[in-house]
Amino acid sequence: MRRRGALWFWVFVGPFALGLALFTYVPLLWSVALSFFDARNTVTPTDFVGPANYTAVLGDDGFTDSLRTFLVFTAFIVPVTYVFSLSLALMVNRVRRARAFFRSVFFLPAACSYVVAALIWKMSLFSGVRFGLANTVLGWFGEDPVAWLATPDPPWYWLVIVTVRLWLQTGFYMILFLAGLQRIDPVLYEAAAVDGARPGWTVLRHITLPQLRATSVAVLLLLVVGAFQAFDEFYNLLSDARGYPPYARPPLVYLYYTALGQGQNLGFGSAGAVILALVVAVVTAGQARWLKPGRTDGDG
Amino acid sequence: MDDALVRAGRALRLVLLISLALLFLIPFYLLVRNGLSSERDITSPEWTFFPAVLRWGNVRELFDDPSVPFARSLLNSALIAVATTLGTLVLASLAGYGLARIPYRHANKVFHGILGTLLVPAAVTFVPGFVLVSSLGWVSTLRGLVVPTLFPAFACFVFRQYFLGFPRELEDAAQVDGLGYWRTYWRVVVPNARPVFAAVGTIVFLGAWNSFLWPLVIGQDRDAWTVQVALSSFTTSQVVRLHELFVAAAVSILPLLLVFLCFQRWIVAGAERSGID
Amino acid sequence: MGSFSRRTLLAAGAGAGILTACGSNTGRGGGGSGPRLSHWYHQYGEAGTEQAVQRYAAAYQKARVGIEWRPGNYDQQTAAALLTDSGPDVFEADGPTLDQIRGGQVLDLTELVDGVKGDFRPAVLGPKTYEGKVWAIPQVVDMQLLYYRKSLLEDAGVEPPTTLDALVDAAGKLTDDKVKGLFLGNDGGAGALGGTPLYAAGLQLVTEDGGVGFDGPAAARTLGKLHRLHADRSLLLGAPTDWSDPAAFVQGLTAMQWSGLWALPQVRKELGDDFGVLPFPEDGSDGRPAVLVGAYGAAVSARSRNKEAAKEYVRWLWVERIDYQRDFALSYGFHIPARISLAARAPELEEGPAADAVRFTADHGHAQPLLWTPACRTAYQDALSRIIRSGADPESELRAVVRKVSAELDRVKKSS
Repeated sequence: MRRRGALWFWVFVGPFALGLALFTYVPLLWSVALSFFDARNTVTPTDFVGPANYTAVLGDDGFTDSLRTFLVFTAFIVPVTYVFSLSLALMVNRVRRARAFFRSVFFLPAACSYVVAALIWKMSLFSGVRFGLANTVLGWFGEDPVAWLATPDPPWYWLVIVTVRLWLQTGFYMILFLAGLQRIDPVLYEAAAVDGARPGWTVLRHITLPQLRATSVAVLLLLVVGAFQAFDEFYNLLSDARGYPPYARPPLVYLYYTALGQGQNLGFGSAGAVILALVVAVVTAGQARWLKPGRTDGDG
Repeated sequence: MDDALVRAGRALRLVLLISLALLFLIPFYLLVRNGLSSERDITSPEWTFFPAVLRWGNVRELFDDPSVPFARSLLNSALIAVATTLGTLVLASLAGYGLARIPYRHANKVFHGILGTLLVPAAVTFVPGFVLVSSLGWVSTLRGLVVPTLFPAFACFVFRQYFLGFPRELEDAAQVDGLGYWRTYWRVVVPNARPVFAAVGTIVFLGAWNSFLWPLVIGQDRDAWTVQVALSSFTTSQVVRLHELFVAAAVSILPLLLVFLCFQRWIVAGAERSGID
Repeated sequence: MGSFSRRTLLAAGAGAGILTACGSNTGRGGGGSGPRLSHWYHQYGEAGTEQAVQRYAAAYQKARVGIEWRPGNYDQQTAAALLTDSGPDVFEADGPTLDQIRGGQVLDLTELVDGVKGDFRPAVLGPKTYEGKVWAIPQVVDMQLLYYRKSLLEDAGVEPPTTLDALVDAAGKLTDDKVKGLFLGNDGGAGALGGTPLYAAGLQLVTEDGGVGFDGPAAARTLGKLHRLHADRSLLLGAPTDWSDPAAFVQGLTAMQWSGLWALPQVRKELGDDFGVLPFPEDGSDGRPAVLVGAYGAAVSARSRNKEAAKEYVRWLWVERIDYQRDFALSYGFHIPARISLAARAPELEEGPAADAVRFTADHGHAQPLLWTPACRTAYQDALSRIIRSGADPESELRAVVRKVSAELDRVKKSS
């Protein structure tokens, strides 16, 4: 019987696992192997260099700066996106009229590609000249136009990046929270009301949030991974034909310019990417421990 | 008194929601406004809500532009996105069901092996993956564009979570009727799991439609351009064709908005029952 | 995906495009017989360029040449494709890069320019040459220079600047609440200018013997002056199009703009005679005006299955067919032919700003050296960006760059 189970297991899981092994694990292991070689413009290097690429990456202040920046960025953007999408979900969930309308409006941006979103933000909404929308609004109040993406001081570019990210992603996480909210048994709220708990903060804290724990864990995981692996919106907003400014530069963008794009120092680039993946793994593991896996909702 | 407070709170919430909704719609407005403007209207120092003359001709120009096969690229994107979505749904749902329901000693290890790939940045596997696919002879083929993208860990994860919460009674009844795993899956489970298929399908479809780098390097022939590649061709190293870029961007997201509006009800329903979401 | 969906889609007709495209480089071009060659170009913005290269390919008799016209990040695509067997036979490249040459990814083309080597401009052939061998045939010369609006300068009582100090002053005087004085790119100039200010100070990026060419106080002084442009708010930043597009200049957002020669036809069309061109002005006692030149070159992949045929084709197109080289350089957009003899005979280049540009190229042209690898470039550009926009101390920034660049140059020297 157990034998049969194993057979059927692989009938179901096998094709997917095989594909994943071939198209993700093989390139991944290959890449890890490259990180121990001097692999310039080749994927079949012969010059084994041991940990030299790792010491080079860790000694490169361009890379360590970007890693530091993105630890800070993650610490900021993850809670902000979390709170914003949860608040939207709570509001949309409680609204009586036009709930579907609000849900659609907040969810629609998820259909836009980073390329399209960056285009709107960079060339129209936050373009640095007077006919950009943001600068037009500033102009109504008699303010000078601001070069949103081009001035490091004050760092307005973070406003641009954070807004585009929130616009693109909030709706998706809001949907996840909405689904979580609808799973909560109304009996719990009724019981709370009987106990005299007033709607609002108390109910949120003692019923809603604990009931949303599983959703929260998943959302936070996705947010953390997404923040560290950020590439597209940064690249599309801030790069130009000749490069990328030395600020707000995600680790993957830095590696792209120095090692994984045109200049193929694949050993160096792979070492950097492995270090990044390890950092993500450590952060998510720490986060999982902190949140504890005591699942409440939807554990099935 | 309490009542007034509640009503005030409700009104406040509505006002807040409406203002946020307007903010969220601004980018769409800009897309349409700029897409229907001339180059001069876009860069005019005086802001106009909409240009004096709406240039619907921009849309026709876009499809008539001989240097960019825009209609063809839309078709290609649709084909690739549909193929990717169908393939992913079949493979990932089978895997998710197997992981959730079929007892196997190492099931947990396999599951973690799949989940772990979420941590791997795509940039790491890009170059070796490209070399691999190319050595299979799949460059500029539909296979090369679709097959390597059929195995997203998150899809498998969502299906597993969903099937964990799937009512066992249905399957038990089927087992009693003598159906094996395979037939139970197709006859009982799939027909009753439509929301999760719709949810995952929408997300995969979006990803396939919006993906850029892989179609760019694999689809080397112009006849294989996807809509994102076509979009990028409006920004050349010398000049940017602003209004064309905007109208093309607007047209490129139109199919998605339709897919989205049709399926979003299902997405919520699917997420609701899958536990992760 | 089962065969079912594939068949259905095929029946719907939608599949035809991709499926017929499978592995084929045919379809267009290729008038001749003989082996198939795939020839890659990056996407040019000028109308007609693609049709032109298709026409050249179709005219070649000894091979069937298929053109691949690549949008998006071209350098990355070629770099990845060169690792595989499905890459191009012939490709144009801003490089090839030093590591592509050293890695044996491109073929030695020295024999192709036998006898005509002296006819190529040294400034652009130099970066295609490594250890005495030529690795790509320059196609056209691209150059960057400073455009200025004559009427705006006259109104402000400003002379066309000939020194860096004069440029900084002029940019300040030309700036008001509607128009900025100078546009060096949305990043403040770090990307577009690159090493130009160093050359204008009489320095270099890399010396003849492969050392760092900007180690000293002169470099810090010159680059430091660029920060004043930013501090004075005379720089246009955040324009919807970047420095390579003349839109900001012709729309009157800026009085002066650093851009490419390719922009000249558009500028002339929009502004008539109301503009002039300048090299980047000199700075300091050793200074000389400078312009940046570069060239896409035709290279042959070492993985080509038809190496000799590919070389033969490159010789035919980029060495022998002078008429096509002329057409390519001057009929779509605006470039200086890579061949000196050809440039000398072009009436388009004989007067006005175009003639000035040719003169700047000959007298003050500097190309990015081959040894200036992406690692060097990133380090230098980061520093320049911080100096210009954040007012970082030029000396300490440059010290860090010199350290990084000399380590990279040592690597290059060591294993060659």
